[in-house]
Amino acid sequence: MKTIRMKELAIGIAMLAIGLIYLAMTMQLPDKGLIDSAFVPYILAGTICLLGVLQLLASRQPDVGPLTTEEKIEAEAEKAAGASDYGTVAKTLGLIVIYAGLLNLVGFPIMTALYLYVQFLVLTPTGHKTNHLAYVAIAIISSATIYVAFRYGFDLMLPSGPLFNF
Amino acid sequence: MWELFLTGVDAVMSVQIMILIVLGVAVGIVFGAVPGLTAVMAIALCLPLTYALGPAAGLSLLVALFVGATSGALISAILLKIPGTPSSVATTFDGGPMMEKGEGVKALGAGVVFSFLGTIASIIALMTIAPLLAKVALRFGPHEYFAIAVFSLTLIATLSTGSMVKGLFAGTLGFAFATVGIAPVDAIRRFTFDEPNLNSGFDMLVVLIGIFAISEVIKVAESVRSGKNAAIGSVSMKSIKGFGFSMKEFFGQIPNATRSALIGIGIGILPGIGAGTSNIVSYIVAKKRSKYPEKFGTGVLDGVVASETANNAGIGGAMIPLLTLGIPGDAVTAILLGGFMIHGIQPGPMLFISQGALVYTIFVALIVSAVLMLLLEFYGLRIFIKLLAVPKHILLPIILVLCVVGAFGLSSRVFDVWTILLFGLIGYGFVKGGIPPAPFIIGFILGPMAETNLRRGLMLSDGNFVGFLTNPISGAFLLLAVLSVAWHVVGSLRARKNASTELAQA
Repeated sequence: MKTIRMKELAIGIAMLAIGLIYLAMTMQLPDKGLIDSAFVPYILAGTICLLGVLQLLASRQPDVGPLTTEEKIEAEAEKAAGASDYGTVAKTLGLIVIYAGLLNLVGFPIMTALYLYVQFLVLTPTGHKTNHLAYVAIAIISSATIYVAFRYGFDLMLPSGPLFNF
Repeated sequence: MWELFLTGVDAVMSVQIMILIVLGVAVGIVFGAVPGLTAVMAIALCLPLTYALGPAAGLSLLVALFVGATSGALISAILLKIPGTPSSVATTFDGGPMMEKGEGVKALGAGVVFSFLGTIASIIALMTIAPLLAKVALRFGPHEYFAIAVFSLTLIATLSTGSMVKGLFAGTLGFAFATVGIAPVDAIRRFTFDEPNLNSGFDMLVVLIGIFAISEVIKVAESVRSGKNAAIGSVSMKSIKGFGFSMKEFFGQIPNATRSALIGIGIGILPGIGAGTSNIVSYIVAKKRSKYPEKFGTGVLDGVVASETANNAGIGGAMIPLLTLGIPGDAVTAILLGGFMIHGIQPGPMLFISQGALVYTIFVALIVSAVLMLLLEFYGLRIFIKLLAVPKHILLPIILVLCVVGAFGLSSRVFDVWTILLFGLIGYGFVKGGIPPAPFIIGFILGPMAETNLRRGLMLSDGNFVGFLTNPISGAFLLLAVLSVAWHVVGSLRARKNASTELAQA
């Protein structure tokens, strides 16, 4: 229960922070009278800040009773899913960043095959046998199929990279 | 109307479109059936395929995916007791027990047939209501559109799951992201940080792919390594006549199906809630009206019929505000709106005048998709069951690559790939914070509509806000918006008070 309330408090702080940042950015916009391009952003910034305050107030209120249905469902779902594996999430995000960052330089066919292979390895369930040969084959076939289908079938100019420079 | 309908039939009956519809329905069923994959994801992934297609072919593919994915969820709901998408949650209540009792084929057959009937009923409603509503909407000006946008936004925020504050926050934040780029009316650049790629703002499809597809991949990454595959029940299709149930059972379900279809259509029309809600509501209503409510949950056909008729009936319902007002009711219709825009088509009342043939092509494509769904889903069941076993750690990275292709293909720039990652992180943050993503998307889409019409309306009334209240339609919608928020606030306060009383008595 305490964890849930702390989480709600953190969400309130985040909402208020977003509202204030957006307000600060809105104040940088040129002022051209009451109804100008900053009018709606001011309303939005004010609304986000207000909602952040409401969320903070709600999270600070003393507990009035047992968990709500929503909280029960959330708690049950979390229990059923087991502990969240944030390490895998971080690795996945890192891989996506590397993939996007090198896509133009290395080209879609090579970069995609590399990304897929490493991502398969990262996501392989614990206790599941890692079949490197199958992973490599799936990665290469998927990358090549997607590239050929979109490049030649749908005229989508995916970055080809150095592979096609020779 | 009849001539336009025949033009639609003529367009859809081409070999290319028929192949696309078959593929769309089949892929849609797979995305609906595999838990973790959704209709939005299916449409997002197939959008790049439509870039090179004409509007009729592209949109036929997208609606086929919509129909297939909405119905496909029943396969896993019955076989795995896990709903493929939220639209089949209630199907698990009786579909699962029917499977355990050895009546899996009957449950699947009834689910498929009544999904088909629900879809057809909703298409009839769509074809009847949409042209009439479009005629009325033709008279709408900036005041009315602003009020409708505000009403839709508040309704979505209050009807979404979770707290109203979070729903409103998500909607407002979506609106705030829509203010990035060149402002309407006076063309001032806002929040672009001198980045030329941001001048035109964030592309709607990029936002949708990020929020719904990328965040889902990140979310699954949290648990995939420790995940255990659920046991897939086996069904024998040998010696099965028809769809696995008798004509007597079929006719016995007609009142239940009719009621559920009406619930599904009604809820589908409302912005913010769709098949995810209607299947549960119709299940509860079916149970209340039943002569044997105590049997619900033990494996009765009525439960499967109520849920599956209602969720598919939402398809036509959700398309009514989309086609007539350009307002998407949920995430699936939001991404369909993106599909329309790729082909330079702006949904709204003018669509029925300027693109009448295309509108009827979509209607016919929906009917053909429903028929193909009926046949493919039941008779191709074995193939779909096999696909349920494809490991997630292989499937999800490939889906991510297809998302990247979809984002890159919009403007051939890696900037959009970074953007899907940004919105993927926002979507993941929403999941962790219990913030509903649908209001964000609707805020993002309706925000510019609200702002543009607010400023146009103010220009028409010389900066006087009263014009929005004195206009009868605009005033009525703004009043409804206030009432929807007030109703939700009162309901929340009452629930809190009841909880306090119960605690004091305990």
